[in-house]
Amino acid sequence: MARMIDLHLHSELSDDSRAPVEAYLKWLARKRDERPLDGIVLTEHRQFDSHSDYRQLEDKYGMLILKASEVETEYGHVLVYGVNDDMLKRFDFSNVRLRAQELIDEVAGMGGVAMPCHPGRPTIGLIEHYEHRPPLEGVVGVEALNGGSKKGENERVAELIDSYGYHAFGGSDAHLVSFVGICATEFEKNITNTEELVDALRTGGYRPVDFRVRRTPVQNNA
Amino acid sequence: MAFDFDRSILGQVFDETDFPPITKDDILKFAEALGETNPLYTDEEAAAQGPYGGLVAPPTFVTRLRPQKMTPEHMPRFGKVGFDGGRDLESFTPVRPGDVLKMVSTIHDIYEKTGRSGSMYFIVLRNEITNQNGEKVAVVDHRIVQR
Amino acid sequence: MKTIYFEDVEEGDELPPIDMLLTKDFVRRYARTAGMDFPRFTDDEGARKEGLPGMIAPGVLSMGLLARLISEWNPAAQITRIGTTFRSPVLPDCNIHLLGFVTQKDDEQHTAECDIWMENDDGERWVIGTAAVALPTKAA
Repeated sequence: MARMIDLHLHSELSDDSRAPVEAYLKWLARKRDERPLDGIVLTEHRQFDSHSDYRQLEDKYGMLILKASEVETEYGHVLVYGVNDDMLKRFDFSNVRLRAQELIDEVAGMGGVAMPCHPGRPTIGLIEHYEHRPPLEGVVGVEALNGGSKKGENERVAELIDSYGYHAFGGSDAHLVSFVGICATEFEKNITNTEELVDALRTGGYRPVDFRVRRTPVQNNA
Repeated sequence: MAFDFDRSILGQVFDETDFPPITKDDILKFAEALGETNPLYTDEEAAAQGPYGGLVAPPTFVTRLRPQKMTPEHMPRFGKVGFDGGRDLESFTPVRPGDVLKMVSTIHDIYEKTGRSGSMYFIVLRNEITNQNGEKVAVVDHRIVQR
Repeated sequence: MKTIYFEDVEEGDELPPIDMLLTKDFVRRYARTAGMDFPRFTDDEGARKEGLPGMIAPGVLSMGLLARLISEWNPAAQITRIGTTFRSPVLPDCNIHLLGFVTQKDDEQHTAECDIWMENDDGERWVIGTAAVALPTKAA
């Protein structure tokens, strides 16, 4: 069971990531003081990993490990939690032009929840699209804190959240082992499985948490 | 798939280039251009005492080899501009002065995704480099982004 | 520069950072040495004509610097694989910070895996990657 969860990260199954899941867990165990997480959700790019069974790793490391996906729509990237076979039959997750409104509505109807990620990012974030398209219906929350965002991107999201009353969550968007958990989400209730995660994400009672540590570089030693 | 191309081009060799022998100077200048200070790459005498018995090139040296055709003649065009999206390099044998290298290039993969700059088409070109002894020196996968 | 043996490396070890000002001259010298003497890598005006904000550092220069990060950490580390993703254009003159960690060790192969990346003053990661290194062992 978990209350502090990294809701957005990529394992070696995603392109551009070479991080094995166990390496993520070992890193979190080592960084426990700095990043006190007890769960991770693997959100692989443009696919859902139906095959991997992480129960042994969960037991070994005392961590909750859930699986989800990051897909691509005309309104930007969206994290889909509670993926099931019905959803995989209905939507081709490898399609980079999914229709966001259809995705949000139908995923909700099939027992999951689709939530826009890095909304402040150019082109693949919601904010830019809301500038010239009608807002999406049925969005319950957005990723207010993304560990891979550039300066200003996370900051832009506060206004979006206020305007639309969205819940806010956090995730590292890690593609490298050492970035796991730099941003996460703290839940009021304990989460023990995907159903409880989806329920919590829909209803609220969570907040983004920032575990990033700013480095003070030494000047010009090369 | 929202985009289409002739899949038979995957795996086809589009270039084979034999390079003139690598000189000691090529190696020293390349190391200097990166600001490398490792004696294996910068100091012939010290390198002679090292694990390779002589000067060797830094691992990314092979990326400076420019074949006759950097890209296929009939390279698929999904966008107007092309950028370097990333490189994966596997290194097997170091490059030494006097090495005569051969590079064989193929189109390894093509895929699509969306990013900060919009819709991006990735073309992965693979360079396989061998030396005069027929030893595998390196394999470089070069991800070209078109948008 | 001291040899670091496999036995002395631990998962979690930080590679000594390299903080440097990447100058246009440094980039030009690399571009010329590497046979990449093109406007996009040597001349602001020429780069703008190609739709870039100014001259950029070639991706392979960033990759070479990250290989150097490993070399300076441990001159005896043999890089068997290095992969980098060029996320954002690197525009000189700029401060760059080359950073990395040892993330995994393989006790049987005497190899280690490292995270390596280049970030700017704001902590934005322009280039990210990993490297696999073979390390000498004291037992040998």
